[in-house]
Amino acid sequence: MAATGIPFLEGRYSPTLDMWPIEAKEFNRIYEFYENLREGKFTTTKCKKCGRVAYPPRVICPECYSDELEWIELPKKGKVAVAVEKWAGVPICYEPPLIDAWIDLGEDSPVRHVLSRMVNCPPETLKEGDEVQLVVFDVPAHPIELRKETKMAERVFFAFEPVKK
Amino acid sequence: MAGRHACIVGGGMCKWGVREASYIDMVQEAAKECLGDIPGLKPTSIDGLLFASTFVGRRSAQANTAPVVAERLGLKPTSICARVDVLCAGGSTGILLAKGLVESAMSDVVMVVGCEKLYTPERWQVQYDEIAAIDHDWDGPQGIGPPPLWFAMIAKEHMKHYGTKREQLGLVSVINYDYGYDNPKGHFQRKLTMGDVLNATEVAAPLGLYDCCPLTDGSAAVIIASEEKARELSDRPLVYILGGAQASVHSVSANWPGEHLGDWPHLRLAAKKAYENAKISADKVDVAQVHDCFSISEIVEVEELGFCKKGEGGPFVESGQTKIGGTTPTNTDGGLLSCGHPFGATGVRQAIEILRQLQGRAVRQVNKAAIGLTHNLSGSNVEHTIVIYGREPRK
Repeated sequence: MAATGIPFLEGRYSPTLDMWPIEAKEFNRIYEFYENLREGKFTTTKCKKCGRVAYPPRVICPECYSDELEWIELPKKGKVAVAVEKWAGVPICYEPPLIDAWIDLGEDSPVRHVLSRMVNCPPETLKEGDEVQLVVFDVPAHPIELRKETKMAERVFFAFEPVKK
Repeated sequence: MAGRHACIVGGGMCKWGVREASYIDMVQEAAKECLGDIPGLKPTSIDGLLFASTFVGRRSAQANTAPVVAERLGLKPTSICARVDVLCAGGSTGILLAKGLVESAMSDVVMVVGCEKLYTPERWQVQYDEIAAIDHDWDGPQGIGPPPLWFAMIAKEHMKHYGTKREQLGLVSVINYDYGYDNPKGHFQRKLTMGDVLNATEVAAPLGLYDCCPLTDGSAAVIIASEEKARELSDRPLVYILGGAQASVHSVSANWPGEHLGDWPHLRLAAKKAYENAKISADKVDVAQVHDCFSISEIVEVEELGFCKKGEGGPFVESGQTKIGGTTPTNTDGGLLSCGHPFGATGVRQAIEILRQLQGRAVRQVNKAAIGLTHNLSGSNVEHTIVIYGREPRK
């Protein structure tokens, strides 16, 4: 990983230019979200005191400020409310077309909608009402300096894909 | 402090576009134009500085920018010297904060200067960096950092729920480019036909190239002062900052507050609060600068700001109500679509146009304009900021 123009950065990691979250437990207190993703579960936190479900996950309840929270699962399937494709001006990290959908997780879901990038989705096929599902994939690892060594922190992230008919 | 009013006294901007200049060069150009608008005001008479910028510090290596800006501008602030980072609403936020500082008697004369240097030596960063301007860890990886996708969804939803037509979106661009044709400081000075808009490169359907504001380098500066100081500094009619509001009810798209994406209750909330704060109503606004980052944005905004009924933004534009002679002339200097959108500088640019309109010296003058409004949305449509200006102080 050469850093053109800044030779001493060669091989070094700079979070300011990273498109993915820092997921490792050494650097956040909601790492269970990512561990759950690895197991194929889409989760968030629920307050044990007042019952409020918050997404994204928290370390305190935004309603009553209790820190007694539990992890709950969200639906992994939903329906497309609206879908769009972007061909021009797509950031360097994606291949055009970039396809996104506003997904309805259903009336019974405590989180009604999520916005997601669509993968495994041919251009100009996705339409309102189509069923879609969560998909988890690996994203690049980054180094973490420990006392005597450097370890690589493996990472995953999620998007949605059309359910095959 | 009762009885103490804040006024906008003067302002100026540098040439906006793809500039062969650094952020600190453009800030100096804008400050020179600003003080050129207020003959007799010396840099050392300015006791406060608010610098609005989001990407200085990311697209340059400079952090803690306010002291750098103050020094280069020859300012020696004694009441406030700070940077404001509210992305697209940084400039308007600076003006609202300056109003509070002046009215509380902490400051007498504050410069609010906004600037972004968006073009980096390698162009990839121009689009890529926008991942940092939204809720990075959740919406960032989903691709709506560069906002056209998100606003294309908003356009589709508005069309579905209210019957808004593609041509009505296009007309926003045609009208605002027409206004911008006479603004030499804006990014573009060209006129568009409906054919230009409809046949342009598709960015994210239904939005084409001319439905999207460009990425622009630029800076703009204004002086906010107490009424007493404003009278000393200028013989022009006084323009008061009557009030404003800033509403932020969510950050991640999943917490969108509306029934659907064409429904913007957070803007309604900000508008209600701002009108109450300024003690006016929507029908009293003679001229408005609204955040036309996309053509669809202006259509939703004229609805939620109360200039027309909800869902009728398309027909409102089509019937000429945003043109001079209409009920609410809007984006009379070209707006974001034609002037461009160097985020932190945009609210300051809007304030300059309202100042000129209310003093009767705008290029595209609205007859007897007495009340003006500026509006910004920021981030992935997560925050709404409104400032209201008037020829008379708040009652």
